[in-house]
Amino acid sequence: MKAQRDEFIEYLFNQAKLDPDIIFISVDMGAPALDQWREELPNQFVAAGISEQNAINFAAGLAAAGKKPFVYMMACWVARCFEQIRYSCAMPKNPVTIIGNGVGLGYAPAGPAHEPTEDLCYMRAIEGIEIVSPSSSEQVRFIAESSLKAPTLRYVRLERSVSERLAERVGGDLISGVDQLHLIKGRSDRRLTILSSGYLLNRAIDAAENISKESGWSIQILDVWKIKPLDLDVLYKKIKDSELLITLEEQARDGSFGAAILEATSDLNLLIPTLRLSLSSAFAFENGTRDELLDHYGLSKGEIESKILEAIGERSKND
Amino acid sequence: MDLQSKANSIRREIIRFKTDTGNGHLASSLSIVDVLVSLYYDENTWFNHYEDQIVWGKAHGGPAVYPILSDLGYFPHSELEKYCRPNGILRLHPDASIPGCNFVGGSLGNGIGYAAGLAFASPNKRFIVILGDAELYEGSVWESLILINHFELKNLLIIVDRNGLGILGATEELLKLEPLDAKFKSFGFNVVVQDGHDYEKLEKVFETPPSTPTVFIAETIKSKGVHFMEGKAMYHTIIPRDAAVVEQMMDELK
Repeated sequence: MKAQRDEFIEYLFNQAKLDPDIIFISVDMGAPALDQWREELPNQFVAAGISEQNAINFAAGLAAAGKKPFVYMMACWVARCFEQIRYSCAMPKNPVTIIGNGVGLGYAPAGPAHEPTEDLCYMRAIEGIEIVSPSSSEQVRFIAESSLKAPTLRYVRLERSVSERLAERVGGDLISGVDQLHLIKGRSDRRLTILSSGYLLNRAIDAAENISKESGWSIQILDVWKIKPLDLDVLYKKIKDSELLITLEEQARDGSFGAAILEATSDLNLLIPTLRLSLSSAFAFENGTRDELLDHYGLSKGEIESKILEAIGERSKND
Repeated sequence: MDLQSKANSIRREIIRFKTDTGNGHLASSLSIVDVLVSLYYDENTWFNHYEDQIVWGKAHGGPAVYPILSDLGYFPHSELEKYCRPNGILRLHPDASIPGCNFVGGSLGNGIGYAAGLAFASPNKRFIVILGDAELYEGSVWESLILINHFELKNLLIIVDRNGLGILGATEELLKLEPLDAKFKSFGFNVVVQDGHDYEKLEKVFETPPSTPTVFIAETIKSKGVHFMEGKAMYHTIIPRDAAVVEQMMDELK
């Protein structure tokens, strides 16, 4: 299975051969797909060194002059150039694509410095930015295509690893970015929706089966891979019949994905009780694999199940 | 053209709109006026404002260019009176919404990288980025210098307005920048150090466009032209507004 970065870069490389305006800026990050690019299109490759701030300013200048710049860095370092993204890209509306690799705990066991667990919070604050978090190859390709066909300031949050069952699925909703990934029909007509994206969708799928079995509720899993802007119309249609929402994210709790969904439902006047499941700490200092750390920091399959069942119980108490 | 009297009239206009509102950084605007006058008005200098672009790093000094742009027809002179007012187009920091200006102003250390992108993308155009000396404390400036040197972006001239002062005082007392020329040289640049208020010397500096990546350190005096303010750090944020004092400032520049 190909890494998301390689799928993205391969697509881009093929386009770059035909379009000299496409320029790839690497902040000292490699990828197998990049080796050929560097060799064949050296004039469209810039090794900016480990200098995220300069790389973003430089890319903004390129975009202002009509080029199509892509800045490739570890996702954790976008924090470091927040000011440059806000100032040089967002304010003058320069369409720069920022490819952040390794979201969530994807770089485990590298430790919290390498694991962006608040990036949704701070990047969501930037006016006019699009934030996407793909889990399937189809989504990755669509985003890569969009970055050329519909250029805008875009933060592409790539996974270092996803499972085959997520990567290989096709036919999802590519337009709205709110995709119904899974629907389990329960015994009763009560329904809850789990909203998530990326790596954690796996845990959502795994947990949903048991939860439905135990509670009898129907469970819908929405892959909300376009986190900003949220397509409120589509979101409304897909959650209006749910009596409980669960947001599940590999982020710290404050201001992140769950907060985005609460803001959206508030704007939609959909007052649906919402349980936010996130990492118990932004700083995962424990040693472990990504899965072990998710287990340790509050997002084990068992904990996801029990917390959701508890929320269902609370709902049922009020019947 | 008598460049000195042109500069005097520009300084008077800057003082007028700055003291009217009290907004912005008068001292930082005054130090860069003569460099701008040389670029925009001296026919023997290479800068062509119709084709070449200036990016403001030290955008707080950028309003120095407003009287020049109005004089050259980019916007009506009456806009100067509306500086920083709700119905005016001129802002405290120049940005691309203002005719004749580029980029967004107000965050130090970013203009140089942005200008590097412009210069890289358009090798047949010429760009100037104007940095404040205290802006050099921003690490991103040095990140950009590495890149500009590597790609030999000779179509980007870096001008440092070396007025010697930050907000808190003299750079050399607060946090040493010197030897500045040696620092730039060690980054691979051709370095020119020259009096930033002497038109003959400026004419030589700007005689021909640089043929290698170049930094021009313009040795300037903060608040240049208003004697009681000259070289005094406290005036970075203080704009005298007392009518009698303003008239005294204007008289000095007649």
